[in-house]
Amino acid sequence: MKALHRRKLLTATAVLAVFGLAATAIPAQAAEVGVTSTQIKLGMTLPMTGTASLGYNKIPGAAKAYFDYLNANGGINGRKVTLVVKDDRYVPTEAVAKTNELILKDKVMALLAPLGTANVKAVASSVNPGRRGVPVLFVNTGFSGFADAKKYPTTYTVLPSYIMEAKIMGQYIKENFAGKKIGLLYQDDDFGTDALAGFKTAGINFAVKVPYASGSQSAAAAAGWITKFKAAEADVVILFGVSSATSAMLGVAAQLKYAPQWMLGSVGGDATTIKLTGVPAGVLYNAIGFSPVPATTDMKDEYVKFFSDIYTKAVPGSAFDLNVLLGMNTAFMAAQALKAAGANPTRKSLLAAIDSKGATFANSALVPAAYSKTSHVGLTGYWVGKYSPAGDLSPVGGTYVSYTTDSGAGAVVKTTYKRPAMPAKGLPN
Amino acid sequence: MHKRENSSHLIPFIIGGVILYFLSGMVDELRVYQGASIAVYVVAISSIILLTGYSGQVSLGNGALMAVGAYAAAVSHISWHLPIVVCFFIAVIAAALGGALLGAAAARLSGPYLAGTTLALAIGLPSLANQFSILGGEQGLLFDVGFPPLSLGEEFTQYKWFFWIAALATLIMMWLLQNILRSRYGRTWRAGRGNEVAAQLSGINTARSKILAFTLSAGLAGLAGAMLSMTIGTVSPSAFPLALSFSLLTGAVLSGVTTLSGVMIGAVTLVAIPEVADVVAHNLGTSESVTTNLPGLMVSALLILTVLFVPNGPVEQHRARTAKKLAAQSNK
Repeated sequence: MKALHRRKLLTATAVLAVFGLAATAIPAQAAEVGVTSTQIKLGMTLPMTGTASLGYNKIPGAAKAYFDYLNANGGINGRKVTLVVKDDRYVPTEAVAKTNELILKDKVMALLAPLGTANVKAVASSVNPGRRGVPVLFVNTGFSGFADAKKYPTTYTVLPSYIMEAKIMGQYIKENFAGKKIGLLYQDDDFGTDALAGFKTAGINFAVKVPYASGSQSAAAAAGWITKFKAAEADVVILFGVSSATSAMLGVAAQLKYAPQWMLGSVGGDATTIKLTGVPAGVLYNAIGFSPVPATTDMKDEYVKFFSDIYTKAVPGSAFDLNVLLGMNTAFMAAQALKAAGANPTRKSLLAAIDSKGATFANSALVPAAYSKTSHVGLTGYWVGKYSPAGDLSPVGGTYVSYTTDSGAGAVVKTTYKRPAMPAKGLPN
Repeated sequence: MHKRENSSHLIPFIIGGVILYFLSGMVDELRVYQGASIAVYVVAISSIILLTGYSGQVSLGNGALMAVGAYAAAVSHISWHLPIVVCFFIAVIAAALGGALLGAAAARLSGPYLAGTTLALAIGLPSLANQFSILGGEQGLLFDVGFPPLSLGEEFTQYKWFFWIAALATLIMMWLLQNILRSRYGRTWRAGRGNEVAAQLSGINTARSKILAFTLSAGLAGLAGAMLSMTIGTVSPSAFPLALSFSLLTGAVLSGVTTLSGVMIGAVTLVAIPEVADVVAHNLGTSESVTTNLPGLMVSALLILTVLFVPNGPVEQHRARTAKKLAAQSNK
């Protein structure tokens, strides 16, 4: 009898608990989700802790610094923009759980700059913002697949794709290193697949290709990679990997006094991040690098100066680097999209605004964006520079020479793109 | 009383299913998603309870066996486009095979040696996926079970669909498990756990019994893995970190490791903790690093408190207390 009582008690408790949970459910809102008369709510997931967070964990601070400035200057038609940030530790499971919280609990209007190819893919397939009509503005990955509007109807890229970067690198190699032996280090996933596709289109034949699995990069692994590049007598070695892979490679190369002509992909090419891991700045000297936005040390550039001033005031003691510049640039573009979405922005009008006006949004990049009714592609190219003895990337000869291309078979051309002047006070107009 | 013990108890599970069916229509989508997560944890924690609580073997490697199941389900879904039920079935079989192999080795080990072996598995196995291109490397494979059938209506959400699948699979599994634990096998395991020599003397082949427990436990873990990857839409090594194995163990301890009836406590706690931590961190207005680490801290604190104050879990504690009271009453 006692057993029966206990079971009844347990069942009753369980049923009560579940109904209690049900009672806390909030009824659907009438107005657009995430938009009130005083506020527009955006959400972001990215690694804020753990090894993968290095460098990237400055992005929310950068974006918030711009939004705070914007809010202090009237916001978007009187609405303040707030950013809810969730740490996914670069784990897809966490990214899905946190994105669910953002959409279903925090009820954000749109997602801003979620980071990582695998994470964005997991979120797309599980949370499925496309089916829910939730805009995913400016994903923080260069995987070309995210521009597929059929598969990801509400997702917009901003960084130039890895394919574009590889094609532009290929063009540069043909012009400057014809006949030299080229080696390539790449990540063995979508990131690397994109790169290989780009180099293939550019017609580059490698003397040696070294793949690595994401997460396997270490000093010991780098020593192994160097053996392969040495054996193939590579003159130019392209490091098309994440920051930790680039840093491991350059660190070990410095010890072994291995010094080919380095060429660094933009993903792992942020000098501040590389130097933070203990790589001597001198190793970077004369390496070739690529970036869509101006050099972060270029205080003559009006955007760089503007963003740098806001950031150093908002986050004292933190270095203004490429992650910060890109983070603020993305926030700046999001602000323009929200402004262009009308007096009472909705998810639909926000998407429509990027389709119709995205290509003309003012931003710091030196290459054009390709947003249109039929394209979710953001920036489309890079300028080529060299690292200084102090390890900073700056344009060769002091002037930016930018190239633009697409993720298909299109040619790589020098761009004549005229960047829009910065709007007054750096506010969307 | 004795007769009841041997009956199949099908009715409570059917009632449970009906309640869940109506509930899924009443709560908002976040709760439905959390419900699916609870179902995953229920199966995963049961797998530990079966192994540790009933057969007395410690395993820290359940996360790895979940990964085996998840990959098996995803690969069979991608390669052969099998229906989801079949994929789940394959996940159970694949993980059970892995468990049988592990169990054969484990039968020779015990205590810290067994814990060490399974710990190594939890660390090493998921990253093996990087070595085989069919497993998709670090970014993993998409495991997309597809949209809910249109016959369920336009309003029927993806997560409700996941929840239905997960809840049904869980109910069936729990029913099967409960019956196994009440059967001869369950008694054999408990005998072996209580005193191995005595069990052997009474004619039980303890080695075989341990391997069987490992196999079944692994099969359950495999199912949990497949369900987990269904709810997140992908399978990747990073979805099965060491922390997962540890939090499952915590869930099992919270549930009371020697009895299956508390399993909901552990599962609900694991899902609720991040949310509670979020509220606490929000109210305190703490920094990012505190917000991130608070859930881990709360899980660990709960683990320690449980071990200190209710070492057998709240359900077993309650049971022991009422038994004591009953004995006291009958002695009067």
